[in-house]
Amino acid sequence: MLKLLQNEWMKLWSKKGTWIMAGLMVILILGLAGIMKWSESLAGDEPDNWKAAVQGELEGDKASLESGLLKGESKRLAEERVMVNDYRLANDTAPLQDISREMMIYDPSVGSIALLLTVIVAAGIVASEFSQGTIKMLLTRPVKRWKIMTSKYIAVLLFGILLMLIGFAVTILSAYVLFSPGGGQALAVSGGKVVEVSVWSHGLYMLLLSFANVIITATFAFMIGSVFRSNGMAIGLSLFIYFTGSIVVALLSRFEIVKYLLFTHMDLTMYETDFRLNDDITLPFSLAVLAVYLVIFLIVSYSVFTKRDITA
Amino acid sequence: MERTPIVELKNLSKTIHGKKIIDDVSLLLYPGQITGFLGPNGAGKTTTIRMMVGLMKKSGGDVVIDGQTLSADFEEAMSKVGVIVENPEMYKFMTGYKNLLHFARMHKGVTKERIDEVVRQVGMQNRIHEKVGTYSLGMRQRLGLAQALLHRPKFLILDEPTNGLDPAGIREFRQYLRMIAETEGVSVFVSSHMLSEIELMCDRIAVIQNGKLVDIRDVRETRESHYYIEAAPAEKAAVLLRTAGFETEPLESGVVIQAEKAQIPAVVQELSAEGLDIFAIQPHRRTLEDEFLELTGGGQLAETAAK
Repeated sequence: MLKLLQNEWMKLWSKKGTWIMAGLMVILILGLAGIMKWSESLAGDEPDNWKAAVQGELEGDKASLESGLLKGESKRLAEERVMVNDYRLANDTAPLQDISREMMIYDPSVGSIALLLTVIVAAGIVASEFSQGTIKMLLTRPVKRWKIMTSKYIAVLLFGILLMLIGFAVTILSAYVLFSPGGGQALAVSGGKVVEVSVWSHGLYMLLLSFANVIITATFAFMIGSVFRSNGMAIGLSLFIYFTGSIVVALLSRFEIVKYLLFTHMDLTMYETDFRLNDDITLPFSLAVLAVYLVIFLIVSYSVFTKRDITA
Repeated sequence: MERTPIVELKNLSKTIHGKKIIDDVSLLLYPGQITGFLGPNGAGKTTTIRMMVGLMKKSGGDVVIDGQTLSADFEEAMSKVGVIVENPEMYKFMTGYKNLLHFARMHKGVTKERIDEVVRQVGMQNRIHEKVGTYSLGMRQRLGLAQALLHRPKFLILDEPTNGLDPAGIREFRQYLRMIAETEGVSVFVSSHMLSEIELMCDRIAVIQNGKLVDIRDVRETRESHYYIEAAPAEKAAVLLRTAGFETEPLESGVVIQAEKAQIPAVVQELSAEGLDIFAIQPHRRTLEDEFLELTGGGQLAETAAK
């Protein structure tokens, strides 16, 4: 199996496109940081008035809690925000600045770029064997088809992980080169108490959460690519669900079924922000739903691939 | 035949959408022997071969390779087989060497030295580290052969291997196949619709039509000798020959009879005595093509579309 994986990895990196993608990852992250730097210079030196902002947020949350309109997760989030903001004012602890070295590491935005590029690889890794005609060479070896399929899937996952790590490394680098430390402290509520959060552990946690989206979307692309043997179709459909997912959720939000749709759960980083697509879902529930979809996608991919007659 | 067969097709069948594409094909293949697989387009050659190498699932019967049943132990059975299915499509973005390395990793016990050895055997030392995309078709065929030989297969299966090769390439390929069949005792199974090719290359042919095996025969078995006789008037000549006990068959402006060499002087004398004008008497060699067309009814397209 290790040899098969070696093969897939060799094929992957023998293609120019893969190097271009890795390069693109670096360039896009740097570009994003550059744009942030530029917008920072536009904003100018406004006096830092975090206390007023925290006070304003605190009053808003209290008002909406009293109105009784919030329920479920939204209510819990508002309560937590109140706790954190009370703590900030009481202890004179400033939040992280929006544009600062810490903020870049606290919330690294590498997930969506890594996702797009991993989807391209996932879509092509099986489909291209068919379009190049090499599938006949590959499957007339003393190796069972499911093993070949597994080596390909693992190669996709490794590629995704590698891209995330490259992205994070470049993010850290640009954070240190372009931005000055902004001070402030990230806080969170844990076990009913307000605790300080390290930007590093939170950054890694965000990477992990966004990697779930990379996996599920790439697995979808992998499935379409191996069922329809069409690279373009796999990329197209995957990006379509990636971009239209939240619209579908919004349209169906009145119905119970929305809780079980893939789209509702694809972006797990929502659990670290204040925005929820749906008030009734929690992280473990999302993970469970994602796992079910993942297994279905893999079963479809494997069973089609191992049973198919190669006629092309 | 006393030798033990290396490959055995047992009642192999394939049904697609309720249509029998391959119907109960049984065949034995022996070490050191090159067997040609002939049939008109759509007769089921490619389907049969793809079932033999696991690219297509069989609907019935079995393939046994060196004692291992393909469906029961795919990996063991396939480790004895080298395959070239139509044009060997390689990874064009990689060098020839990396392609070989790729396939070598999928077999047990193929060392780097073995790769180099095969590269030398097919005469590709000079260009093996160039990308396959830059190779000519002939080079790709050689690389295709190299990948099929890496693991020293006992059985080599080739589907239309000479497609697109020039005459020199075909000749070289043919000699190479003969060489490995004779020196290494490899059993070779080669499908083609190029009859002259098969005739030159093979010891034995199997003919398939409409999914059924219609004939298996040795190519080198002594053929009945035939003579072509052109005499005028032709009808009278034919009648005379028939009354003399020969089977006649009209060909161009004369007839072909089945006769031994020793009988010919008598035939000539008789024809002259009857006052016929003899223009030509020559040995007539029936080619495989004639036999093939006869066998498959003029090579009309089979009804099934197996491809």
